[in-house]
Amino acid sequence: MKIEGTYKIAAPRERVFAALTDPLILQKCIPGCEQMEKTGENQYHAKLTAGVGPVKGVFSATVSLRDIVSPQHYKLVVEGKGQPGFAKGSGELNLSDDAGATSIAYTGDVNVGGLLASVGQRMIQATGNMLAGKFFKALEAETAASNPLSSTGT
Amino acid sequence: MAEKTVGKPIKRTEDPRLIQGLAHYVDDIRLPDTLHAVFLRSIYAHAKINSINASAAEQLPGVVAVYTGKDVARIGPVPCAAALPDLKVPDHRALAQNKVYFVGHPVAVVVAETKSAARDAVDLIEVDYEELPVALDEEKAASAKSPVIHEQFGTNVAYKLTAGEGDIEAALKSADQVIKQKVLHKRLAPIAMEPRGVLARYYPGEQELTLWTSTQIPHLCRTQVAIMLGMPENKLRLITPEVGGGFGSKLNVYAEEALMGWISMQLNRPVKWIEGRRENMQATIHGRGQTGYIEIGFKKDGTLTGLRYNVFADMGAYFQLLTPAIPTLTGLMLSGCYKIPAIQINVTGVFTNKMSTDAYRGAGRPEATYVVERALDLVAAELGKDPVEVRRKNFPQPSEFPFKTATGLFYDSGNYQGALDKALKMVDYPKLREEQKTARKEGRLMGIGVSTYVEICALGPSAAMPAGGWESATVRVEPTGKVTILTGASPHGQGEETSFAQIAADELGVGVNDVTVIHGDTAIVQYGIGTFGSRGLAVGGTAVYLAIQKLKDKAGKIAAHVLQCEKASFVDGKFCADGKAKGEVPAPSTPVGESPAGALPHPHHGKTLSMMDIALEAHVAKNLPPDMEPGLSATSFFEPKNFTFPFGTHIAVVEIDKETGEIHFQRYVAVDDCGKQINPMLVEGQIHGGIVQSLGQALYEELVYDDQGQLVTGTLMDYALPKAIMIPHLELDSTETPSPVNPLGAKGVGEAGTIGATPALVSAVVNALEPYGVRHLDMPLKPEVLWQIIKNGPRKNSAGAA
Repeated sequence: MKIEGTYKIAAPRERVFAALTDPLILQKCIPGCEQMEKTGENQYHAKLTAGVGPVKGVFSATVSLRDIVSPQHYKLVVEGKGQPGFAKGSGELNLSDDAGATSIAYTGDVNVGGLLASVGQRMIQATGNMLAGKFFKALEAETAASNPLSSTGT
Repeated sequence: MAEKTVGKPIKRTEDPRLIQGLAHYVDDIRLPDTLHAVFLRSIYAHAKINSINASAAEQLPGVVAVYTGKDVARIGPVPCAAALPDLKVPDHRALAQNKVYFVGHPVAVVVAETKSAARDAVDLIEVDYEELPVALDEEKAASAKSPVIHEQFGTNVAYKLTAGEGDIEAALKSADQVIKQKVLHKRLAPIAMEPRGVLARYYPGEQELTLWTSTQIPHLCRTQVAIMLGMPENKLRLITPEVGGGFGSKLNVYAEEALMGWISMQLNRPVKWIEGRRENMQATIHGRGQTGYIEIGFKKDGTLTGLRYNVFADMGAYFQLLTPAIPTLTGLMLSGCYKIPAIQINVTGVFTNKMSTDAYRGAGRPEATYVVERALDLVAAELGKDPVEVRRKNFPQPSEFPFKTATGLFYDSGNYQGALDKALKMVDYPKLREEQKTARKEGRLMGIGVSTYVEICALGPSAAMPAGGWESATVRVEPTGKVTILTGASPHGQGEETSFAQIAADELGVGVNDVTVIHGDTAIVQYGIGTFGSRGLAVGGTAVYLAIQKLKDKAGKIAAHVLQCEKASFVDGKFCADGKAKGEVPAPSTPVGESPAGALPHPHHGKTLSMMDIALEAHVAKNLPPDMEPGLSATSFFEPKNFTFPFGTHIAVVEIDKETGEIHFQRYVAVDDCGKQINPMLVEGQIHGGIVQSLGQALYEELVYDDQGQLVTGTLMDYALPKAIMIPHLELDSTETPSPVNPLGAKGVGEAGTIGATPALVSAVVNALEPYGVRHLDMPLKPEVLWQIIKNGPRKNSAGAA
């Protein structure tokens, strides 16, 4: 399954990029993410509850950020396993300035197996798009919330 | 004397219990102390198992045991009965050993006090998989570049086979023209209404194992499971209670059957496994699965010169009972109902990371018929001739039977013109083509599809079968005159409890309701083969008929003795002294319940005797001919000398909605000839069901694996079975050309619908889209595909025949 889209966030590019690489913020923004622990340089272990249609469960996932070119690009690689099956995917995020705001272009390729594939496959695309939407909305809120802090702090 | 019942549409005696929910399937059998088994199945299409940690599962309350591959390595391999030259047979164990080869591959089994505990425990098993690259498409998997599934073979090619007669190269060269066409037969799921299920109970004292399982082949399954378990065959009793459909998917021996027996022997408790629907779709055999290339050579007048079919047959990762044999049936039937002087099939059987394919209603023959019928349509289109004319041109004449094909078969009897003419008359074919012309002028997409098919049935002569093609029957007349039939065939929806009773009723002069047909219990019924390949009546029914003849022979001797005449004749259901017709003397029979013990039987001279009278004499045994054994029962094992070849014509008339690509039926007419009919209502039912499954294949059904080998059509939400609303009104008729192969003259009808209908349906849709240059489309004919063609607009010189 392929996911792609763009999302515009009304915050400077540096700030958005910082948020996108901050595990604490990511944990808050990734829908269903209950835990995100650093396990190495740009490597994290995450625990998340996710579901596609009737198939729901807890996934434990490894997340790694690669090819980081601050503040414009990185590659995200996720491998998750759980009782409803597995999901693995990778995606690229590209940030660009857009009239004072930041435009995030994302593309991703996700494979799923197990119950997720046999029951949920038809709904995965829609679910993927929905989750991406939720994520960026939360990220927008986070970057907005961090505005006063960052304007005084940095 | 009861009226004759053979040939009459008697209602099925098995139906009241089925439609009232009173029948007993495996899951309805409840034994005290039963444990429940649930499988952990692979979620990867191809992976190495690094480790399995089941400790959390084992500790869950209610869990009794968890078994993995290493625990069950002593269970023998899952059998494959097909013997082909140089066949590569993978070692197929009951549970995955070091690798998993397809999504649904059983990895572990949890046994618990309740099914829910077992299911919960399955989720706690941790398997560390290491993914491996997959081989999925049967054609690509055959190439040297493909990842190899079974390393020991170094290739995914399981076998290569060439068959057929005649010089195919010369035949194609001598043709005025040769058309080539690629065709796909997508994988289908058989979807029996009742999934598989097994209940096993071991009696440690007696060292006997009883297995209740939903199978089409109780005796063969018993033999194979006994071999897998290394136990004496006669210590294993296999019972098939009611079986809720099979369609070939239960013509098999599955790992789960042996495993349940083994587990019950380990734990000394009954254990039950009932397959879920998702499991059923992943891990019960699939049907079809071929990518083929047709080459058909023909003269300008439409005379066929030769047919070659090069086919990649998708085996799946392992062999089940008949997996590699299915494409050989395709090869056998490539002549269709035509004279084709040279035929060649080149089969490449290929392993893929998917569930095994095997027999699904039709089993290789729908593929053959589809190939031949598509080829005939392509020839007709190329020559601008009516498809009916091209077919007729190549039919053998009724006088040419037995007809020898270039595939090495002798068709027993046939009148292909007769069935075709009848069907054409039913639709008023010339008028229909006129209507089509008008419709096209009006811009409507009307299509007419004609398929004339022949199939190979009543499987079959043992020499041509993997494991015996005969069938058995024991017929007993009990002391009260009731008739018991023990059949080795194992009906599971075909209605043989009714049709066999009809045969017995007419032959023995009793009522249909006086006859009980017992099947599917190896402790009661003599060894038999089973129900598949449209053989139940033509082979199993013949065994019943022949056993009855033996029994009647003995009964006649008793009658002559009792009637004190030289010979007794059986007239209108009664024995009488030879030459004397029934009714001359009133027929008193010995009243049941009035014990003749102590009283000498009265002489019956000049009277008639019913089978009940004879049965009583035979069991009381006070007045039998000298040296005659008491009792009245006979057993017959019928070995057919040839297959039978039912045939017919199916015509579909459709109109395609230009806006949506949807297919609307205008007519569906079928004329089938299955030889002599015992019960026309059963025949009609079989044709109905077959056409519906055929329509599913043509229009809707397709098992889809994604590029990772995940089965994405894994539920009935995603796998499109046809529903009642999608089925047109079926107008059926028949012709009756008796088979000379058996005394009943019956040919078999179980698979006719799935064989004859698919090409007619595709032909109709292709014909409707003729103005768009379409000559061939692959199934399923989805509206989106048709809509796209319509949207692209009419083309002049397109060739579907590439």
